[in-house]
Amino acid sequence: MSAAVTLERQIRPIYEALDTGSNKSAIVSCNKLLKKYSSNLLVKACFSLKALALVRSQKVEESLALCDEVLAVKPLDDATISAMMHVLKGLGRITDMVNMFEEAYKQQPLNEEYGAQTFFAHVRTANWKSAQQVSTRMHKQFQDDRYLYWSVMGAILQASDPSTTPSMKMLLYKLAHRLVTSSPTPSYLTADRFHMHINILKELELYDEANTLLESDIGKSICSTSLACDQTRREIWRGRGLFKDEGQSAQQKILNGDRNWLEFLSVLDSIFAPVSSRPEGGITEESKNECLENISKARTFLAGVVEKDGTKNRAAPLALLELEHRAYKFGLSDDSVFVSVMEDYFTQFGDKACCFEDLTSFLDLETASLDRWKAFLTQHQPSFASVGDLQRLINVRKLERYILLDSEITVESETARGLKYLNEYLGGLALGADLPVTELQPADDLVLLAANALVMVWALNRSEEALYRAATVLEYGLTKSRMSFQMRIMLVRIYRILGASSLALEHYRQMNVKQVQNDTLSHLVLTRALTFSLAAIGDLTYPSECLESSQIYLASSQETSDFIVRSFTAEKYTQIPDFIDFESRLENSLQRDVVKLEHVRMRLTHEPLNTDIIDMELIELKFMFDRAHHDNRDFLIIPSYQPRCKPTFNEQSLLFGASTGQGWLWCFLKIYIRAFQHASDLDDIVEEKLLVGDRPKKSSDPEVQLPLRERLALRRAEEIAELTSEETQLLDWATALGDWLEPHHNYVRPPPAVVLAEASRQTELKTGFPLRGVDLQAHNGDANGHHKKDEEAPPIKEASGLLTVFFDSMLSRFEHLVESKCSISELLHVATITQEAFILFIIETMRFKSPAVVKIHKLGNLVAQFKDVRLRASCVLKEMSAALIKIGEVEGSVEHRQVFLQACAPVTIKQITHDFVSNVAKSVTDSRKKVLEGVGKGMTKLNAAQS
Amino acid sequence: MSVLRPFMATDMFKFNNINLDVWTETYAISFYLSYLSRWPDLCCVQEAPGGRMMGYILGKAEGSSNEWHGHITAVSVAPEYRRLSLARNMVNRLELVSDDHYKGFFVDLYVRCNNALAINMYEGFGYSVYRRVREYYGTLGVGKGGKDEEDAFDMRKPLSRDPLRRSVRSNGREVVVNASSVS
Repeated sequence: MSAAVTLERQIRPIYEALDTGSNKSAIVSCNKLLKKYSSNLLVKACFSLKALALVRSQKVEESLALCDEVLAVKPLDDATISAMMHVLKGLGRITDMVNMFEEAYKQQPLNEEYGAQTFFAHVRTANWKSAQQVSTRMHKQFQDDRYLYWSVMGAILQASDPSTTPSMKMLLYKLAHRLVTSSPTPSYLTADRFHMHINILKELELYDEANTLLESDIGKSICSTSLACDQTRREIWRGRGLFKDEGQSAQQKILNGDRNWLEFLSVLDSIFAPVSSRPEGGITEESKNECLENISKARTFLAGVVEKDGTKNRAAPLALLELEHRAYKFGLSDDSVFVSVMEDYFTQFGDKACCFEDLTSFLDLETASLDRWKAFLTQHQPSFASVGDLQRLINVRKLERYILLDSEITVESETARGLKYLNEYLGGLALGADLPVTELQPADDLVLLAANALVMVWALNRSEEALYRAATVLEYGLTKSRMSFQMRIMLVRIYRILGASSLALEHYRQMNVKQVQNDTLSHLVLTRALTFSLAAIGDLTYPSECLESSQIYLASSQETSDFIVRSFTAEKYTQIPDFIDFESRLENSLQRDVVKLEHVRMRLTHEPLNTDIIDMELIELKFMFDRAHHDNRDFLIIPSYQPRCKPTFNEQSLLFGASTGQGWLWCFLKIYIRAFQHASDLDDIVEEKLLVGDRPKKSSDPEVQLPLRERLALRRAEEIAELTSEETQLLDWATALGDWLEPHHNYVRPPPAVVLAEASRQTELKTGFPLRGVDLQAHNGDANGHHKKDEEAPPIKEASGLLTVFFDSMLSRFEHLVESKCSISELLHVATITQEAFILFIIETMRFKSPAVVKIHKLGNLVAQFKDVRLRASCVLKEMSAALIKIGEVEGSVEHRQVFLQACAPVTIKQITHDFVSNVAKSVTDSRKKVLEGVGKGMTKLNAAQS
Repeated sequence: MSVLRPFMATDMFKFNNINLDVWTETYAISFYLSYLSRWPDLCCVQEAPGGRMMGYILGKAEGSSNEWHGHITAVSVAPEYRRLSLARNMVNRLELVSDDHYKGFFVDLYVRCNNALAINMYEGFGYSVYRRVREYYGTLGVGKGGKDEEDAFDMRKPLSRDPLRRSVRSNGREVVVNASSVS
């Protein structure tokens, strides 16, 4: 029996166990085999499989030891290598994976599989240069065209990397061009190769060569079925300034039935080419006349298409609109012609939902024309005879509202408009009375309009009454259109402002957000969710919401690179750049880290504060601080029908008026990284040793290259602008606290050797092996805990007055809010930020809790000063907590519900009954009571635990 | 007015207005990526000039010998852009690519038997029922929709490679097969 067969037979049960997820039995089988055999091949394979089983059962440390052992002997057999690939992927040690394959391929240059795997490993690490080199080598060796195209793609990807200089970029494209033309088979064999080829020609502006390819029969045929190739072709045509040719061919396509808007744009661009391609002032009479002639021809052409399509397709009528709009903008016709076309368009398509969106981009009119347009809209007689009539009315209302002037927007007028929209909504409901419950009512947009107007009232007078009304009408709308996500989104925003956070969360969950939508939509409920978190009293709703919404990042971080690899294998190159973009946007998502930080903030309110949490979170937060973030949050999904002279509904309804963007994230990372760094014994040397996987790719932003210490001290106005005034105070306070204690932390912190020795001891206890790669002697020997610093102890300074003043100022702000009966969410915000300061104080002073430390380093005077701060903080927390609980009680009372009901009297009309409003009032007040009491009790609990 | 362009991975960040609609499923990221990495030319998007997504179609090419065909996996249009022939445009595109590029014999799709609106629409596009697939959408028990809710019609439309229309039949509604016998 050959060695390979023996190996196969012995190892199969381990594979099976791994496949079925029985990691334990896989480990047992490995151990058995390892005892029995000493054959080198088998042992290595066994080791690597055991390492895999260990990784999968979360025993990272043990797996690491095995991993190192296997890697050290530079494995060459398939079984070991493929198992190791999974282990290293699981551990995030992609760099080790690259090295392993590189070594294997070097040893066996005829092994095609190892070559491909080396290429893929470089692709996974976005190391395009090496990927390109490996594939070039493979092409020479194996003479397969595919590898040539891999290397072309490698060069292109390297060229598009943000770190590549423009001159290098051109060189790389030239290299790509040389490679592609050296191919023994023409690129047009597949659309994807062809696409790559013409893109290179586009970048190098080799238009003649591109022309030959594109004008060939096969080139034309590819462009007719590949939208991607056609897109590049269009860009090349534009680059060559062939507007006229492109316009003519687009006209032909339109005549043949193509209704892609891009074709119409090509026609329009060709019409205006004589005037648009010249610099301002350079327009001659001649070019003007040419353009006028074009316009008149185009009118006839488009009118023909309009007639043919009727109301079935709106592309041609819209093109006509765009034509007249451009003519007006270039001063080639007056805007009354244009307004007439708009009126025609509305008459034709006013019964389509998209009519409003179609027309808004054209409303940049002169006053006289705007007045004419307004008059046209005002003339409209509302009718509820059919769904089409209703839609027409909705469009009129939206369009009228969109162009309202600032002077027309007052509390009274908006209240009146809100009620008008509501009345029309209630009237329009009859048209959808027979629809199944899963359908949306045709009148829905009217209730959205009503809510918009009511929120505007709130934006003007800040009286919660208007928000109660908005919530009520939307809740009513939902009883008719259960599936309306627009209503739910608006309610989420309104309820958060009102402090009815459990209702906001409920509506969000009803939207059934899943998969990648977590990244784009979780901001709706998780932004500043600490304000409403009841984690301190053990209710983990919000922390678990954070964890659930973050699942998507863990799942997809490997997946996307797997698909990039697959695209290479299948030679579907067109998608690769976008896959890479997608991967990076998800991996470096701003929302991902905002949620993570929010989770840390909540976690600290309910878990005992210890160095384990702090060390772990410190490393993660530092990773976040090195990323170049992408903001994938979807705000466009939030419906807004506010007038164009006012902020959108999204802007108006942001909790505390500020979004948590990059600036917010940076400020809070600075607060927490600094506090954790102080409390932790991990310095850079120790962290490097304890780190398991590769470090994430660092952003190329110059600021990120600065030393961490400097970065943490940086304060930028535009970043601070994203903070609320309480958050800004917290930042200042944390800075003062950190500045005061930092010298003492640095002095007292044990040296790396001691920390590493301890870590090594812990690892040995767990795994039987000491820590890898740690030479304790090298770190200056004495690792038994006694150490003496050479430098002198830093002098003990007086605490900054700010440290206690902060708590006083927060309390007075809180009391002021209570007196002015201000929004409950703001009240909670002040309270939770104060609580956060208290927690940060505990973290910063943890190191000095041990009497031994205080005694050895003579820190008695320092520690004595803590008492004042802590006492003040504790008192303030107590007061706030008591006040919140009291307000919560009042909130839950029948009298308070009456206030809500009275406020809603104007919207308690027709079908919206008193009982219905009463139920809304109850759920809002109950929800607020719950969060007020919960946060209040949480503060008491936290205070007691730390005192 | 809508731009027809290829579906891209980053569209997943902006398809909420389509996917929050109750009838549109949001799949795992790997689902979209696997389509895009294999049949990028059968997946496209209709987009408003402002960049807002209006609808999309995901398709694939599958089957062997004379069953080689294009398949419409998902076609969805945001509620505010319905009744504008967007679905028709996208289906046309998929048929064109299945015909000219993949050289398929037909294009097919599955639809719930009780979704009369969609069935009518597809019939208008030239599709006809080829067979009824029992419990294609899983066993729902005897609910309000009954059998029609859990069964699917497999609807087909022949392409130019099938001039004799062998891939369709007139009595398709009566031909019932089990879900396990279809791909």
